Amino acid sequence: MTARTRFTLDRRRFLQSAAAGTAGIVASGLPLSQAIWAQEGKVLRVRSYADINKLDPGFYQNAYNVSVMNCIYSGLMNYKPGTDWATELQAAESIEQIDPTHIRFKLKPGLMFTGGYGEITAEDVKFSFERVILQDSPMKDDWGPLNRVEVEDTHTGVIVLDRPFVPLWNVSLPYGVGHIVSKEAVLEATGDGGDFGMQPPMFSGPYVIADWRPNEVLILERNPDWTGQKPGFDEIQIRPIEDPQTAETAYRAGDIDFTHVSLSSLEQLNQRAPENTVIEERPSLYYVYLGMNMEHPKLQDINVRKAIQWAVNIPQLLEVAYFGYADVATGMIAPGLVGHRDKALIPPEGDLEKAREFLAEAGAEGLQLRIDVLNQAKFTTMAQVIQAQLGQIGIDLQIDVQDAGSFWTIGMETEGERWKDMQLILQRFSMVPDPFYATTFFTCEQVGNWNWERFCSERFDALNREATTVQDEEKRAQMYHEMQDLMEESGAYRFLTHEGAPFIYRRTVLEPATRPDGRALYRYFQPV
Amino acid sequence: MLFYLVKRLGLAVAIVVLAVTLLFIMIQSVPGDPAAVVLGPRATPEQKALINEKMGLDEPLPVQLVTFFGNVATGDLGTDVFTQRPVADIVFGQMPYTIILILTSITWAALIGIPLGAYSAIRRNSVIDKIIGVLSVSAIAIPSFVMAVYALLIFAVQLNWLPAIGLGEGFWGGLRHLILPAFAVGVGWVGYIARIVRASMLEVLGETHIRMARSFGLRESRIVFRYALTLAILPTVTVLGVGMAHLLSASVFAEVVFARPGLGALIVQAVDTRNYPVVMGTVLVTTALFVISTTIADLINAALDPRVRESL
Repeated sequence: MTARTRFTLDRRRFLQSAAAGTAGIVASGLPLSQAIWAQEGKVLRVRSYADINKLDPGFYQNAYNVSVMNCIYSGLMNYKPGTDWATELQAAESIEQIDPTHIRFKLKPGLMFTGGYGEITAEDVKFSFERVILQDSPMKDDWGPLNRVEVEDTHTGVIVLDRPFVPLWNVSLPYGVGHIVSKEAVLEATGDGGDFGMQPPMFSGPYVIADWRPNEVLILERNPDWTGQKPGFDEIQIRPIEDPQTAETAYRAGDIDFTHVSLSSLEQLNQRAPENTVIEERPSLYYVYLGMNMEHPKLQDINVRKAIQWAVNIPQLLEVAYFGYADVATGMIAPGLVGHRDKALIPPEGDLEKAREFLAEAGAEGLQLRIDVLNQAKFTTMAQVIQAQLGQIGIDLQIDVQDAGSFWTIGMETEGERWKDMQLILQRFSMVPDPFYATTFFTCEQVGNWNWERFCSERFDALNREATTVQDEEKRAQMYHEMQDLMEESGAYRFLTHEGAPFIYRRTVLEPATRPDGRALYRYFQPV
Repeated sequence: MLFYLVKRLGLAVAIVVLAVTLLFIMIQSVPGDPAAVVLGPRATPEQKALINEKMGLDEPLPVQLVTFFGNVATGDLGTDVFTQRPVADIVFGQMPYTIILILTSITWAALIGIPLGAYSAIRRNSVIDKIIGVLSVSAIAIPSFVMAVYALLIFAVQLNWLPAIGLGEGFWGGLRHLILPAFAVGVGWVGYIARIVRASMLEVLGETHIRMARSFGLRESRIVFRYALTLAILPTVTVLGVGMAHLLSASVFAEVVFARPGLGALIVQAVDTRNYPVVMGTVLVTTALFVISTTIADLINAALDPRVRESL
């Protein structure tokens, strides 16, 4: 027989209970909607600016995919959370440069793959790294001159390079292609060790994918087989929210607890931050510049290009487009990285008199030009400021706003004749923390591919090749300084800014862990 | 009726084919290289060429079009160039969210708009009629995205009554997450439906059979609900059917602003990344949805109104 308790709820009792419940929720400091629907367990709720579309580290394409890979796979080493660029050991117990082309690693014993694929071994490391080259991955340049990985025993191996490759320590090992997958699992899933796309056949990190509802949420849960450092949260919910304003609203509403925000929101956030919110600003690695097609008939004369360089007043431009929250760039390479220049050749404010002199020398008075920009407010605003600034020296600038699909192929020769018509362009590229990644897109080989300004310098190419092999940081920095000088001297570039990477988080919920550029390292986030 | 149905279905197929063909030509004529987007900046021209070959983009346009329709006939909408998932899985996976949003929006709009319009017509020129008129026109005039943003700021951010983004878990969670987007998408339709029903009711209330019913001494409520409203509602049904297209467009902003999955958000992303198979698959399905909804509206009209049935 089941005992039953009869509850009676009159109006007075209902109001008393409701008032007590509400007071409890208010006292807990949680938004009402969050308190009612909160779930058990430590759940980290964050925003990604796009949905995942690739989970094979050997074929990674985007930072937001790599953020997830960091959680579900392990590498020999990873970026150390903090404000200075540094790395630390992850799956490796030790790793050392034996000579300029040989790197010995020793794996921590007992780190397991999921799905019954056993322990992570040196053979898996060999397979993970070599398949990037063997499968002709678009990311194979990340491994530079990797020749092979020699397996010495179960846990020890030697990475063998054809020539020294310094970016290996900054990019290859701690980032995308450095993640380790199971040879057995991948061969079983793909047959040839090729791209497994969105279907990881195993996991090797502290989290596994519990659920992926496209365009809604990706849920990561603790990996029960994980024997490494225990992650802080039981579950991570990553919600793809493309629009930064929507993300900020979602944060304010209590739906997420960590998000990057736009620079344009910083003023408002600094004045009226949501309760228990910490705002952090980090220097980003992005580089934004004004590029000029050197082969366009109107821009072939270097004096015209120099006139444009000197006419652009960067602080003025950044004040309008980024509300004063972005710093002036001195080149492509951001502060904190090897090769960052202290100052550019042309002063940030430019000089209108000098600009007019260059234009007069070119005999190009009354010049009409066009600038292509991406259809985002900050770029159209910047283009309008540049339009006004060039107007001061008599250049009539027309602004051509394009959607992403059209914009990102303007200068590609594979897209027909459009590159011939390109004149000025407002560009923004992302970076990983090694200068090689920036300069490599501006070589002669890249003309018509990603080098849309068609800048080509033998000296630059030689430096670009050599700089990846130089281990002396000082010497390497000088080489990148010279490369940026060459770019600027060509007149084809006016480096504008690295923007910034502000983010907000609820201090009552989490302690974030990010790279110096603000990229989230979710596996190291800690609950409060 | 059967002939009418067959005729409508034939027309529906023709509309879908024409719309998809036009779109196919349009997206091929705008610049953009899906291979470059798929492979990223490090890809070599050879790798890009390989992807284009795999996607069939190296074939002449008519061949691509015929291949596309041939595949569609076998239920194959292609493969997403990024995730390598079947487009049919992606589109049909996202479709229920959009349909639920649209149906919820239109249902609550109709449930409020129809009585308001009918009441306005019955109390013609009264203060309440004028207030409803002003509110209806205001609801129509305020852009849905403005309504969405303010609803979000008030109910999700300021009051914290409702969640701001996502779909929610379970039935009740889903319902709570649906309130704000459905409100934003449907609020303009409340005013629109109220105005249509009012105008239609006024016309019907002046007709001979209504005067006859009154002269027979039938109760006013019976006259209004049984004899007037059933006829007055017919134009609304037609408008709702055609309104599906508008609602599909409105769902784009709602899905972006409220970070909800759905066909609107999907197509925006796909167009941006020149993900042609997903664009084509989504447009095919949304066009089909539109055609089906207008056909259903016509059939409901025919079922409700004997005059329409007889004219078929």
